[in-house]
Amino acid sequence: MKDLWQNPRVKRIGAIMLIAVLVTVMTGPEGNGAEPTAGFTGSFAAQASFFGIFTVQRWIVFSLLTLIVVGAIALAKFVHRSWNDRAHRGGSDASAMSTRTPLRRRLDMKSSRYVFYVIVLVLAIFLPHVITDNSWQTQIVQQILVYILLAIGLNVVTGFAGLLDLGFVAFYAIGAYTTAWVTGALPTPPPFHMQFNTFFAIPFAIALAMLCGVLIGLPTLRLRGDYLAIVTLGFGEIIYLFANNLFGITGGATGTREIPFLSIHLGSLKYLWGLNPVPYYYLTLGFVVLFLIIFSSLEHSRVGRAWVAIREDEIAAESLGINPLKYKVMAFAIGAASAGFAGVITASQTLFVTPPTFTLQFSINILVLVIFGGMGSIIGVVLGGLFIQIFVVYLEHSPPSGYNSQDLYMYLGALLVVMMIFRPAGLFPSRRRRREIDQIEAGTAPDAVLTDVGPHNRVQEEMS
Amino acid sequence: MISPLFDVRDVTLRFGGVVSLNKVNLHQSRGEILAIIGPNGAGKTSLFNSLTGVYAPQEGAIVFTNSRGKAISIIGKKPFRVSAAGVARTFQASRMFNAMTTFENVKIGAESHRGLGVVGAMFKGPGTRRDEHRSDIRTKELLEFVGLTQQANAIASTLNYGARRRLEIARGLATAPDVLLLDEPAAGTNPTEKLELVELIRKVRDEMGVSILLIEHDMKLVMSLAERLYVLNFGSVIAEGTPAEIRSNPSVIEAYLGSVDTGVAQEARDA
Amino acid sequence: MSYFSSHFTTLGHEFWGLLVGGIANGIIYAMVAIGYTMVYGVLRLINFAHSEIFMSGAFASFFLMKVLVGNSTPNAFESVVYLIVGILAGGIVGAVMAVGLERVAYRPLRRRHAPKLAYLISAIGASYFIYNFVGKEFGRINLSIDSPFINNTVFTIFGAAVQTYYIVIFVVGLIMLVSLERLVATSKLGRGIRAVAQDAETASLMGVNIDRTIAVTFMLGGFLGGVAGFLYSIPIGVVYTMGFTPALKAFSAAVLGGIGNLRGAVLGGLLLGIVESFSVAFVNGAYIDVVAFAVLVLVLMFRPTGILGERLGRSA
Repeated sequence: MKDLWQNPRVKRIGAIMLIAVLVTVMTGPEGNGAEPTAGFTGSFAAQASFFGIFTVQRWIVFSLLTLIVVGAIALAKFVHRSWNDRAHRGGSDASAMSTRTPLRRRLDMKSSRYVFYVIVLVLAIFLPHVITDNSWQTQIVQQILVYILLAIGLNVVTGFAGLLDLGFVAFYAIGAYTTAWVTGALPTPPPFHMQFNTFFAIPFAIALAMLCGVLIGLPTLRLRGDYLAIVTLGFGEIIYLFANNLFGITGGATGTREIPFLSIHLGSLKYLWGLNPVPYYYLTLGFVVLFLIIFSSLEHSRVGRAWVAIREDEIAAESLGINPLKYKVMAFAIGAASAGFAGVITASQTLFVTPPTFTLQFSINILVLVIFGGMGSIIGVVLGGLFIQIFVVYLEHSPPSGYNSQDLYMYLGALLVVMMIFRPAGLFPSRRRRREIDQIEAGTAPDAVLTDVGPHNRVQEEMS
Repeated sequence: MISPLFDVRDVTLRFGGVVSLNKVNLHQSRGEILAIIGPNGAGKTSLFNSLTGVYAPQEGAIVFTNSRGKAISIIGKKPFRVSAAGVARTFQASRMFNAMTTFENVKIGAESHRGLGVVGAMFKGPGTRRDEHRSDIRTKELLEFVGLTQQANAIASTLNYGARRRLEIARGLATAPDVLLLDEPAAGTNPTEKLELVELIRKVRDEMGVSILLIEHDMKLVMSLAERLYVLNFGSVIAEGTPAEIRSNPSVIEAYLGSVDTGVAQEARDA
Repeated sequence: MSYFSSHFTTLGHEFWGLLVGGIANGIIYAMVAIGYTMVYGVLRLINFAHSEIFMSGAFASFFLMKVLVGNSTPNAFESVVYLIVGILAGGIVGAVMAVGLERVAYRPLRRRHAPKLAYLISAIGASYFIYNFVGKEFGRINLSIDSPFINNTVFTIFGAAVQTYYIVIFVVGLIMLVSLERLVATSKLGRGIRAVAQDAETASLMGVNIDRTIAVTFMLGGFLGGVAGFLYSIPIGVVYTMGFTPALKAFSAAVLGGIGNLRGAVLGGLLLGIVESFSVAFVNGAYIDVVAFAVLVLVLMFRPTGILGERLGRSA
């Protein structure tokens, strides 16, 4: 009996069945506290159609689906391997590749990449003319573009600097509330008792978010980088508590008064971003592109290289004169600033700011976008963000039976675990990150749990 | 009198109850190739870590005088500040940035002492471009100097031992140091690579004017390269002198005979 | 001046009551903090999903109490039996959850030497999945527990009433904490845990089964966390999000005492419980949760190794 359980094939089939059962329950009907078994029995007893071919209990449908997925993965692996074999045997192909100079190859890659960017940008510009429904357009701005903007910001913290920030939403909230404050939409009077144009909220929001980022980041990163996650987690909750309870300052649970739209009044140049989501779409898209360019040049700069160095081997980086604390705090502050900025956009477009927007779930949602696409790869984050947020918006519009909007976070949580187990570098990883993870896992890099705990590190902790 | 490069006085380093360095005194003159030898666990790497700010010894003083004649107390300084002062090092088990190319590895060293320049980096300002260009040139020079131009675009983890050592040396030199600390540079290299390494280390001193402080187990290499040696045992300096003096010093021979690797002692006498 | 003096007056009136409540809370924090500290000891990781182990224990005992207690009013003997059943249910489910978590979310990563960031993400994902799953299956509203005992005042100290609930916490908590400390300090199992905490590589060379030791560590921490969940839920009931705040506080307590240090976790838990209890006199009730966080940040700023220091591996 014990031998049977040790058999890897039996183990794998067991794991597959377990996953099928789990998926069955996850997608099943809601249960309740009075009848704790209702959700489970409902999940197993209810029937579902298998692509309209036949109708049978849901769990059987899911077992079949899981088997098909697993089979497809195995097949893909097999095809991939035989492809590789052929590539190795057909040596002439490989040598033809290598005769091209690396520079030439890089140029090719670069130009084809630029063509790809331009195509995507043109598609994005024409999108509002394809999707003309107002509510969809609003969703696209608020649920896709703003989320991508946030994901690009979090990517600097998590992807570039390798720090886990679970309180990202706090900086987003700070940005949103600062907008309300500057435009006089809070119970507390605006700075200098004058109402500013909404655009003026941007520098205020960025500065305030950055300041909070440094205040939270400094003491934590100074010694224990791994505590950052939990400290930011707590910070997110506290900002929520303040937003919800400081009636005299934030308006408490009822939220803020009306925040004016973004507008320009420069002499004869007047423009108002109004209720129509399309102008906001273009504005936000413009900022997404701007952030993409800025963060991408940051990645390929001295600063970006320093982040990689610290991520890979902090001690070696420090011996070369890089101050790890400075670079980590900086990444954290840049991330905070971009979240604060996104807060301004959201606050001005949604008119009101209320605390329930700023829960931990939001931070996790953004984190999923970063992880799914590929930490550290800006294009990966954008693609991953698009993919997931389109899915989320779709689920919201036409939820399948038994789906509750809260279930989303269950799926996202599961997705994080699955990604970490099977594809930690994400679906579209940056080449460098991919290499890095490969190397850590091959044991050639020093940063691995259980191997980085040698006396050297520990002594250093004691000393500082 | 010209102040020495390193002036280490009565340095004691303890971890809990364990004394790792015991009243160590050490002097290095500018331009000197100095070696530290001793059995395993004698405290050689601890001394290196103390000289580079990784450890902060509880007692004693470490004064480093850079080429501009500025005296800097090392104890209590963070490693990146020590690096900025002009001390570069390599590690016993080579610690490269494995996922980066050889070129990038060296470039990080070349640009690490510049200010933050985040805004410039974000918007690729003219100053940033100039800096990048300068670092690129410097990196190319250094790669040529250590003979890694061919492997400039190779991923660091694919390099062989000898190349890794040279990469680490280039990376250290990129920070424009006054002294380069080498922790067992020859470990894991084959005889040919070893010879090349000796050449390179001499070249670093002769052509770049960078002083060398090295830890090494390979007696032949040490005796042919070093101009002066310190012998550590149980955290204390037991002897100091030229290779010839050390070779005939009875307490050194005893220390090596008393330790496990007697082969080293044999080598010490043979070399 | 008057602000403080008036607050100190209330403090004076309620001093003993606040102290008793604070110690009771502190014991619960300590029991959860031990889970964090033990896992941190062997893996150098914050087990983010520990909050869900706490929650699962509470839910398991909740459903059992519902069946057992029903609408009856338990007599003294029944109360003791129910409590023991509740403790076992909470502890066992907590332990099973913890081991399962290690198996699914950590071990595959450990196998391929994943970087630290991957563990943290995997753990936060697992935590998220578990509590939302529980929310889906058992509803997203607060469910009140049928109390397994009548909460009388047993005796009074200096005018402060000590209820049955507090006695239960003191007794159960003390038994658990002391037996854990003995287990880790004296048994072969405990030696294995300490060896891995000190130096995993050497321990594995010396023949300690690392996988098993880590699983046992999770199991012990999970048991205590599950029991703590049960004790915590008796007066206020259960809800799927209940783990978050107490776990965050327990982590702060572990850091306050010195993470990796068993006695530190207990001391930190008690201190935090008492500090929080007394801060009622100074801080608006809505912000009471901020106190623990402030303690965490202050400790990180001024004494990052905690009160007793991080005696990783040398603990107990």
